[in-house]
Amino acid sequence: MPQMLEIEQLKKSHANTPEILLFRDVDAAAAQHDRIALLGSSGQGKSTLLRILSLLDIADEGVIRFAGLSSKQADPIQWRMKICYVAQQAVMLPGSVEDNLKITHELHHIPYNVTLVKKLLTQSGLESLDLSKKASELSGGEKQRISLIRALLLRPQMLLLDEITASLDQCNAMRVEDMLEEWHQQEGTGMIWVTHQLEQAARISDYVWFMGNRTLLEKSPTRQFFEQPATELARQYLQQPLVKGDELCLS
Amino acid sequence: MSLLALSFTIIFVMVTMLISVWQKLDLEKDIAIGTVRAAAQLLLVGYVLQFVFNSNHPLFILAIIVFMIIIASRNAAKRGKGLAGIWWRVAVAISATELLMMGLLLGLNIIEPTPQYIIPISGMTIGNAMVVAGLFLNQFKRDIQASSGEIETLLSLGATARRAVQNVMQRSVKSSMIPTIDGMKTVGLVQLPGMMTGMIIAGANPVEAVRYQILIVFAFTSSAAITSILLSTLSYRQWFTKDLLLRQVD
Repeated sequence: MPQMLEIEQLKKSHANTPEILLFRDVDAAAAQHDRIALLGSSGQGKSTLLRILSLLDIADEGVIRFAGLSSKQADPIQWRMKICYVAQQAVMLPGSVEDNLKITHELHHIPYNVTLVKKLLTQSGLESLDLSKKASELSGGEKQRISLIRALLLRPQMLLLDEITASLDQCNAMRVEDMLEEWHQQEGTGMIWVTHQLEQAARISDYVWFMGNRTLLEKSPTRQFFEQPATELARQYLQQPLVKGDELCLS
Repeated sequence: MSLLALSFTIIFVMVTMLISVWQKLDLEKDIAIGTVRAAAQLLLVGYVLQFVFNSNHPLFILAIIVFMIIIASRNAAKRGKGLAGIWWRVAVAISATELLMMGLLLGLNIIEPTPQYIIPISGMTIGNAMVVAGLFLNQFKRDIQASSGEIETLLSLGATARRAVQNVMQRSVKSSMIPTIDGMKTVGLVQLPGMMTGMIIAGANPVEAVRYQILIVFAFTSSAAITSILLSTLSYRQWFTKDLLLRQVD
């Protein structure tokens, strides 16, 4: 399958302390419909990598290409519409929940599909949410789901998901996973998903990118990664205690 | 005012100095420098104005206005330190405001086309525009830092730089105009404005002085809005890199 996203020799140091390396020699590629779990211990630069891929941060060195076009030649607006980053800390825009959901319509004149919005709200467990409510008054978990739906309405070709279920209980996290699974099946949207929950990573991905030792250490099919990790660091990482109620399920 | 009476005003400076020494504020040097500079600058301006009024030559009037705009722009641009090209943007905003104000005042025959009217009113317009420009830059910088999450969220959804800062710009424009609008509400009740006071002291009819003051107050409101909106339009892009990333400005 032709590679949609290509990453070559990416290097990034800490923004405020350039002498401290975050990662280097990051090489990877993803096909259009790939679902990738980006794993690794905290501080390896996973979120920074996602932000660089969505052009919300810049790498010190290296090349990113999407559909053959280098990020340096691309229009950042067009790029971000295709590769959309959903932050861990969801930020609501001023106004109501509906204003937030209509933002892609306002920005890009993408038709606001009420039926689709209702479906996504229901799938994510927000069916009873009052859309006229001030978005700033939502709980952390509600904000995270609205922020995800807001990004889906942009219909990007690739979603960069940064711990988007971190504020959700297990039940709602599963609902979001199911919603994204269906979205992936119907729209073919590629996903790179940062998560610290191994069970979730196993469920939602076809491939795992594992970051360690200041680089992207492993790029393997999910089953292979969990059954036979290639590096000692990944083996140790996989031995971390599972989150309560979280069991590793590879079937 | 006689020179003797003028010299007595030094008592006010001495009182300030004494308070500074007594309270150990360590402001004596600054007070001394400020006193000498204020006296020298004002006396110099007095003589320059006298010369310009007597000559009544348009080039001299223009030179003084340009000088005022340069000083005002440099001063206001300090609030946007770290932003490339902010000085000329402030200068354009202030110049446009001055041009529009003078165009209206002279074009509608509200004031006479003589240096006695043009220079003081220009000075007040430019001074007010300087304060508004400084307030806007200060507020915009603070608001951008406080709203970086909102701005980045919009950028991540493919917003243009202008749309990403639109809400922040509106808030900052509003903030920079509030002192002028508040001043308009309380003028004459809380404070008697300098221009009116000066005219009354110089012997003008208070009602005539008030008319000019109304002109100035209304013109200030308009100039505040124009300066602020123009500067926001000219400068918002400076807060972004060419890759459309939010720039870190110290």
